[in-house]
Amino acid sequence: MLFFSYFKDLVGKEVTVELKNDLAIRGTLHSVDQYLNIKLENTRVVDQEKFPHMLSVRNCFIRGSVVRYVQLPPEGVDIELLHDATRREARGG
Amino acid sequence: MVAGLRYFTDRSDDGAAGAPLLDTVNGEELMHVQPAVSIVLSNHPPESPGTLYISTKQVIWLSDTERTKGYAVDFLSVSLHAVSRDPEAFTSPCIYTQIDTGDEDDESENSDSESNETFDLSKITEMRLVPSDPNQLDALFEVFCECAELNPEPVEEDEPEEHNWIFSADQLGPAMGIIDGVDQEWDSSQTHFTTIGHPNGDHDLARNVLELQINDQRFEDAEEMESNNRNGGQQ
Repeated sequence: MLFFSYFKDLVGKEVTVELKNDLAIRGTLHSVDQYLNIKLENTRVVDQEKFPHMLSVRNCFIRGSVVRYVQLPPEGVDIELLHDATRREARGG
Repeated sequence: MVAGLRYFTDRSDDGAAGAPLLDTVNGEELMHVQPAVSIVLSNHPPESPGTLYISTKQVIWLSDTERTKGYAVDFLSVSLHAVSRDPEAFTSPCIYTQIDTGDEDDESENSDSESNETFDLSKITEMRLVPSDPNQLDALFEVFCECAELNPEPVEEDEPEEHNWIFSADQLGPAMGIIDGVDQEWDSSQTHFTTIGHPNGDHDLARNVLELQINDQRFEDAEEMESNNRNGGQQ
Protein backbone atom coordinates (compact mmCIF):
# COMPACT_ATOMS: atom_id res chain seq x y z
CA MET A 1 0.00 0.00 0.00
CA LEU A 2 3.06 2.25 -0.02
CA PHE A 3 2.42 3.57 -3.51
CA PHE A 4 -1.23 4.14 -2.74
CA SER A 5 -0.42 6.25 0.31
CA TYR A 6 2.32 8.03 -1.54
CA PHE A 7 0.17 8.91 -4.53
CA LYS A 8 -2.60 10.10 -2.25
CA ASP A 9 -0.19 12.73 -0.98
CA LEU A 10 0.33 13.91 -4.54
CA VAL A 11 -3.34 14.71 -5.13
CA GLY A 12 -3.68 18.19 -6.56
CA LYS A 13 -0.20 18.14 -8.07
CA GLU A 14 0.80 17.93 -11.71
CA VAL A 15 1.89 14.49 -12.83
CA THR A 16 2.53 12.78 -16.13
CA VAL A 17 1.11 9.30 -16.51
CA GLU A 18 2.77 7.14 -19.10
CA LEU A 19 0.65 4.28 -20.38
CA LYS A 20 1.89 0.95 -21.63
CA ASN A 21 0.65 1.90 -25.10
CA ASP A 22 3.11 4.87 -25.07
CA LEU A 23 0.43 7.47 -24.55
CA ALA A 24 1.57 10.02 -21.98
CA ILE A 25 -1.00 12.21 -20.31
CA ARG A 26 -0.17 15.20 -18.17
CA GLY A 27 -2.68 16.52 -15.71
CA THR A 28 -3.61 17.35 -12.17
CA LEU A 29 -3.92 14.27 -10.02
CA HIS A 30 -7.54 14.22 -8.90
CA SER A 31 -7.60 10.91 -7.05
CA VAL A 32 -6.06 7.49 -6.82
CA ASP A 33 -7.46 4.26 -5.39
CA GLN A 34 -5.96 1.13 -3.91
CA TYR A 35 -5.57 -0.44 -7.36
CA LEU A 36 -3.64 2.64 -8.45
CA ASN A 37 -6.37 3.62 -10.83
CA ILE A 38 -5.70 7.27 -11.50
CA LYS A 39 -8.08 10.14 -12.17
CA LEU A 40 -6.60 13.20 -13.83
CA GLU A 41 -8.07 16.64 -14.44
CA ASN A 42 -7.09 19.36 -16.87
CA THR A 43 -5.29 16.79 -18.92
CA ARG A 44 -3.27 17.23 -22.03
CA VAL A 45 -1.51 14.69 -24.14
CA VAL A 46 2.25 15.07 -24.14
CA ASP A 47 2.73 13.87 -27.71
CA GLN A 48 -0.19 15.61 -29.38
CA GLU A 49 0.84 14.77 -32.91
CA LYS A 50 0.73 11.09 -32.24
CA PHE A 51 -2.53 11.16 -30.31
CA PRO A 52 -4.54 14.11 -31.67
CA HIS A 53 -7.92 12.74 -30.60
CA MET A 54 -6.99 12.98 -26.92
CA LEU A 55 -6.74 16.76 -27.15
CA SER A 56 -10.35 17.16 -26.23
CA VAL A 57 -10.17 15.18 -23.03
CA ARG A 58 -10.33 17.32 -19.93
CA ASN A 59 -10.61 14.68 -17.25
CA CYS A 60 -9.97 11.02 -17.46
CA PHE A 61 -9.79 7.79 -15.54
CA ILE A 62 -6.79 5.56 -16.18
CA ARG A 63 -6.82 1.91 -15.25
CA GLY A 64 -3.98 1.17 -12.84
CA SER A 65 -2.89 -1.91 -14.73
CA VAL A 66 -2.14 0.02 -17.94
CA VAL A 67 0.14 2.56 -16.28
CA ARG A 68 3.82 2.16 -17.06
CA TYR A 69 5.28 5.19 -15.27
CA VAL A 70 4.08 8.12 -13.26
CA GLN A 71 6.37 11.12 -13.55
CA LEU A 72 6.31 13.04 -10.30
CA PRO A 73 6.77 16.71 -9.59
CA PRO A 74 10.22 17.16 -8.02
CA GLU A 75 8.72 19.09 -5.09
CA GLY A 76 6.45 16.14 -4.39
CA VAL A 77 9.37 13.82 -3.72
CA ASP A 78 10.34 13.88 -0.07
CA ILE A 79 13.34 11.59 0.10
CA GLU A 80 13.34 11.33 3.91
CA LEU A 81 9.67 10.44 4.02
CA LEU A 82 10.09 7.84 1.31
CA HIS A 83 13.07 6.32 3.09
CA ASP A 84 11.08 5.93 6.27
CA ALA A 85 8.05 4.60 4.45
CA THR A 86 9.97 2.01 2.47
CA ARG A 87 11.74 0.83 5.63
CA ARG A 88 8.47 0.52 7.46
CA GLU A 89 6.95 -1.33 4.52
CA ALA A 90 9.98 -3.60 4.31
CA ARG A 91 9.47 -4.66 7.91
CA GLY A 92 5.97 -5.67 7.01
CA GLY A 93 4.52 -2.94 9.21
CA MET B 1 -12.34 -13.64 -20.60
CA VAL B 2 -11.90 -12.18 -24.06
CA ALA B 3 -9.66 -9.14 -24.32
CA GLY B 4 -11.00 -6.22 -26.28
CA LEU B 5 -14.35 -5.60 -27.88
CA ARG B 6 -16.70 -8.43 -28.86
CA TYR B 7 -20.12 -8.96 -30.37
CA PHE B 8 -22.98 -9.26 -27.93
CA THR B 9 -26.29 -10.89 -28.86
CA ASP B 10 -27.59 -12.42 -25.63
CA ARG B 11 -30.79 -10.52 -25.11
CA SER B 12 -33.94 -11.22 -23.21
CA ASP B 13 -37.01 -11.92 -25.33
CA ASP B 14 -39.29 -9.24 -23.96
CA GLY B 15 -39.93 -6.34 -26.31
CA ALA B 16 -38.37 -5.42 -29.60
CA ALA B 17 -35.00 -4.56 -28.15
CA GLY B 18 -34.50 -6.86 -25.20
CA ALA B 19 -32.18 -6.09 -22.34
CA PRO B 20 -28.84 -7.91 -22.26
CA LEU B 21 -28.67 -11.21 -20.40
CA LEU B 22 -26.11 -10.80 -17.68
CA ASP B 23 -24.08 -13.34 -15.78
CA THR B 24 -26.18 -12.88 -12.65
CA VAL B 25 -25.18 -16.31 -11.36
CA ASN B 26 -21.67 -14.96 -10.89
CA GLY B 27 -22.85 -11.74 -9.33
CA GLU B 28 -23.03 -9.48 -12.36
CA GLU B 29 -25.49 -6.64 -11.82
CA LEU B 30 -26.86 -3.93 -14.05
CA MET B 31 -25.65 -0.55 -12.80
CA HIS B 32 -26.91 1.90 -15.36
CA VAL B 33 -29.04 2.08 -18.50
CA GLN B 34 -28.68 4.99 -20.88
CA PRO B 35 -31.12 5.16 -23.79
CA ALA B 36 -30.43 7.02 -27.02
CA VAL B 37 -26.70 6.46 -27.25
CA SER B 38 -24.83 6.05 -30.50
CA ILE B 39 -21.54 4.21 -30.67
CA VAL B 40 -18.42 4.98 -32.68
CA LEU B 41 -15.77 2.30 -33.00
CA SER B 42 -12.36 3.70 -33.93
CA ASN B 43 -12.95 5.78 -37.07
CA HIS B 44 -16.02 3.93 -38.27
CA PRO B 45 -19.25 5.83 -38.83
CA PRO B 46 -21.53 6.17 -35.80
CA GLU B 47 -24.11 3.46 -35.25
CA SER B 48 -27.49 4.34 -33.81
CA PRO B 49 -29.98 4.28 -32.29
CA GLY B 50 -28.91 2.15 -29.40
CA THR B 51 -29.01 1.72 -25.67
CA LEU B 52 -26.04 1.63 -23.35
CA TYR B 53 -26.03 -0.86 -20.50
CA ILE B 54 -23.34 -0.66 -17.85
CA SER B 55 -22.99 -3.66 -15.58
CA THR B 56 -20.59 -4.40 -12.76
CA LYS B 57 -18.46 -6.29 -15.26
CA GLN B 58 -18.87 -4.82 -18.71
CA VAL B 59 -20.09 -2.10 -21.00
CA ILE B 60 -22.73 -3.24 -23.47
CA TRP B 61 -24.20 -1.31 -26.35
CA LEU B 62 -27.23 -2.80 -28.08
CA SER B 63 -28.89 -1.59 -31.24
CA ASP B 64 -32.53 -0.59 -30.75
CA THR B 65 -33.49 -1.77 -34.19
CA GLU B 66 -31.39 -4.84 -34.95
CA ARG B 67 -31.62 -7.55 -32.35
CA THR B 68 -28.47 -9.20 -33.64
CA LYS B 69 -26.38 -6.08 -33.35
CA GLY B 70 -24.56 -5.32 -30.16
CA TYR B 71 -21.09 -4.87 -28.73
CA ALA B 72 -19.59 -5.44 -25.33
CA VAL B 73 -16.29 -4.89 -23.63
CA ASP B 74 -15.22 -5.98 -20.16
CA PHE B 75 -14.08 -3.29 -17.77
CA LEU B 76 -10.89 -5.29 -17.51
CA SER B 77 -10.15 -4.25 -21.09
CA VAL B 78 -11.08 -0.59 -20.71
CA SER B 79 -7.70 1.07 -20.24
CA LEU B 80 -8.95 4.59 -19.97
CA HIS B 81 -12.17 6.51 -20.12
CA ALA B 82 -12.78 10.20 -20.33
CA VAL B 83 -15.32 12.88 -21.09
CA SER B 84 -14.61 14.42 -24.45
CA ARG B 85 -16.22 17.77 -25.20
CA ASP B 86 -13.91 19.41 -27.71
CA PRO B 87 -15.69 19.60 -31.10
CA GLU B 88 -12.34 19.63 -32.87
CA ALA B 89 -11.55 16.13 -31.69
CA PHE B 90 -15.03 14.76 -32.18
CA THR B 91 -18.19 16.39 -33.44
CA SER B 92 -20.31 15.52 -30.41
CA PRO B 93 -19.54 15.41 -26.72
CA CYS B 94 -18.99 11.80 -25.74
CA ILE B 95 -17.48 9.28 -23.41
CA TYR B 96 -14.15 8.37 -24.95
CA THR B 97 -12.61 5.00 -24.10
CA GLN B 98 -9.43 3.21 -25.00
CA ILE B 99 -9.63 -0.54 -25.24
CA ASP B 100 -6.81 -2.91 -24.47
CA THR B 101 -6.95 -5.59 -27.14
CA GLY B 102 -4.13 -7.61 -25.62
CA ASP B 103 -2.34 -7.18 -28.94
CA GLU B 104 0.92 -5.24 -28.95
CA ASP B 105 0.95 -4.17 -32.60
CA ASP B 106 -2.71 -3.33 -33.02
CA GLU B 107 -2.10 0.29 -33.89
CA SER B 108 -0.97 -0.16 -37.49
CA GLU B 109 -3.30 -3.04 -38.26
CA ASN B 110 -6.16 -1.03 -36.91
CA SER B 111 -5.66 1.81 -39.35
CA ASP B 112 -5.43 -0.66 -42.21
CA SER B 113 -8.75 -2.22 -41.45
CA GLU B 114 -10.59 1.02 -40.93
CA SER B 115 -11.55 1.45 -44.56
CA ASN B 116 -13.13 -1.98 -44.76
CA GLU B 117 -16.86 -2.42 -44.46
CA THR B 118 -16.56 -5.37 -42.14
CA PHE B 119 -13.98 -5.04 -39.45
CA ASP B 120 -12.25 -7.09 -36.86
CA LEU B 121 -13.57 -6.16 -33.43
CA SER B 122 -10.46 -7.47 -31.74
CA LYS B 123 -8.50 -4.66 -33.44
CA ILE B 124 -10.69 -1.84 -32.15
CA THR B 125 -8.73 0.25 -29.66
CA GLU B 126 -11.06 3.21 -29.32
CA MET B 127 -14.76 3.44 -28.58
CA ARG B 128 -16.87 6.57 -28.26
CA LEU B 129 -20.29 6.55 -26.68
CA VAL B 130 -22.38 9.54 -27.67
CA PRO B 131 -25.51 10.15 -25.60
CA SER B 132 -28.12 12.31 -27.30
CA ASP B 133 -28.26 14.27 -24.06
CA PRO B 134 -24.75 15.61 -23.37
CA ASN B 135 -25.79 16.55 -19.83
CA GLN B 136 -25.58 12.86 -18.98
CA LEU B 137 -21.85 12.67 -19.67
CA ASP B 138 -20.60 13.44 -16.18
CA ALA B 139 -22.99 10.94 -14.62
CA LEU B 140 -21.91 8.31 -17.14
CA PHE B 141 -18.28 9.06 -16.42
CA GLU B 142 -18.86 8.48 -12.72
CA VAL B 143 -20.62 5.16 -13.37
CA PHE B 144 -17.66 4.12 -15.51
CA CYS B 145 -15.27 5.03 -12.69
CA GLU B 146 -17.29 3.15 -10.12
CA CYS B 147 -17.46 0.00 -12.22
CA ALA B 148 -13.83 0.15 -13.27
CA GLU B 149 -12.89 0.10 -9.60
CA LEU B 150 -15.01 -3.02 -9.15
CA ASN B 151 -12.79 -4.82 -11.64
CA PRO B 152 -9.19 -4.94 -10.49
CA GLU B 153 -6.77 -7.21 -12.28
CA PRO B 154 -7.67 -10.77 -11.29
CA VAL B 155 -4.18 -12.00 -10.50
CA GLU B 156 -1.78 -9.26 -9.64
CA GLU B 157 -3.81 -6.67 -7.75
CA ASP B 158 -4.10 -8.52 -4.47
CA GLU B 159 -0.59 -9.82 -4.59
CA PRO B 160 1.83 -6.90 -4.42
CA GLU B 161 1.79 -7.15 -0.62
CA GLU B 162 2.76 -10.79 -0.87
CA HIS B 163 5.49 -9.91 -3.32
CA ASN B 164 7.30 -7.52 -1.05
CA TRP B 165 10.86 -8.63 -0.96
CA ILE B 166 10.93 -8.90 2.84
CA PHE B 167 8.57 -11.81 2.65
CA SER B 168 11.14 -13.92 0.89
CA ALA B 169 12.88 -14.00 4.27
CA ASP B 170 9.98 -16.01 5.63
CA GLN B 171 10.86 -18.75 3.26
CA LEU B 172 14.38 -18.96 4.66
CA GLY B 173 13.11 -20.39 7.91
CA PRO B 174 10.99 -19.70 10.95
CA ALA B 175 13.82 -17.84 12.68
CA MET B 176 13.72 -15.10 10.05
CA GLY B 177 9.99 -14.69 10.29
CA ILE B 178 9.94 -13.30 13.82
CA ILE B 179 12.65 -10.75 13.27
CA ASP B 180 11.58 -7.35 14.42
CA GLY B 181 14.42 -5.00 13.69
CA VAL B 182 17.38 -4.64 11.44
CA ASP B 183 19.93 -5.42 14.15
CA GLN B 184 18.30 -8.69 15.06
CA GLU B 185 18.15 -9.59 11.42
CA TRP B 186 21.90 -9.18 11.17
CA ASP B 187 22.49 -11.20 14.33
CA SER B 188 20.39 -14.00 13.11
CA SER B 189 21.97 -14.15 9.69
CA GLN B 190 25.38 -14.29 11.32
CA THR B 191 24.31 -17.23 13.42
CA HIS B 192 22.97 -18.69 10.28
CA PHE B 193 26.31 -18.30 8.56
CA THR B 194 28.18 -19.91 11.45
CA THR B 195 25.97 -22.93 11.23
CA ILE B 196 26.72 -23.06 7.55
CA GLY B 197 30.46 -22.98 8.38
CA HIS B 198 30.01 -25.75 10.88
CA PRO B 199 28.91 -28.48 8.52
CA ASN B 200 31.93 -27.62 6.37
CA GLY B 201 34.16 -28.84 9.16
CA ASP B 202 31.99 -31.87 9.73
CA HIS B 203 31.99 -32.65 6.09
CA ASP B 204 35.66 -33.61 6.02
CA LEU B 205 35.11 -35.70 9.08
CA ALA B 206 32.19 -37.47 7.49
CA ARG B 207 34.16 -38.09 4.33
CA ASN B 208 37.04 -39.58 6.29
CA VAL B 209 34.72 -41.93 8.13
CA LEU B 210 33.19 -42.94 4.85
CA GLU B 211 36.58 -43.67 3.29
CA LEU B 212 37.52 -45.62 6.32
CA GLN B 213 34.43 -47.74 6.08
CA ILE B 214 34.70 -48.34 2.34
CA ASN B 215 38.40 -48.51 1.64
CA ASP B 216 39.97 -49.80 4.76
CA GLN B 217 40.75 -53.45 4.24
CA ARG B 218 40.91 -54.06 7.91
CA PHE B 219 37.20 -53.27 8.24
CA GLU B 220 36.22 -55.88 5.67
CA ASP B 221 38.38 -58.46 7.35
CA ALA B 222 36.93 -57.59 10.67
CA GLU B 223 33.40 -57.78 9.30
CA GLU B 224 33.98 -61.22 7.89
CA MET B 225 35.57 -62.46 11.07
CA GLU B 226 33.10 -61.15 13.56
CA SER B 227 30.10 -60.28 11.35
CA ASN B 228 27.36 -61.18 13.76
CA ASN B 229 28.68 -59.08 16.57
CA ARG B 230 29.39 -56.00 14.44
CA ASN B 231 26.09 -55.97 12.64
CA GLY B 232 24.22 -56.36 15.85
CA GLY B 233 26.17 -53.50 17.38
CA GLN B 234 25.51 -51.11 14.49
CA GLN B 235 21.81 -51.62 14.27
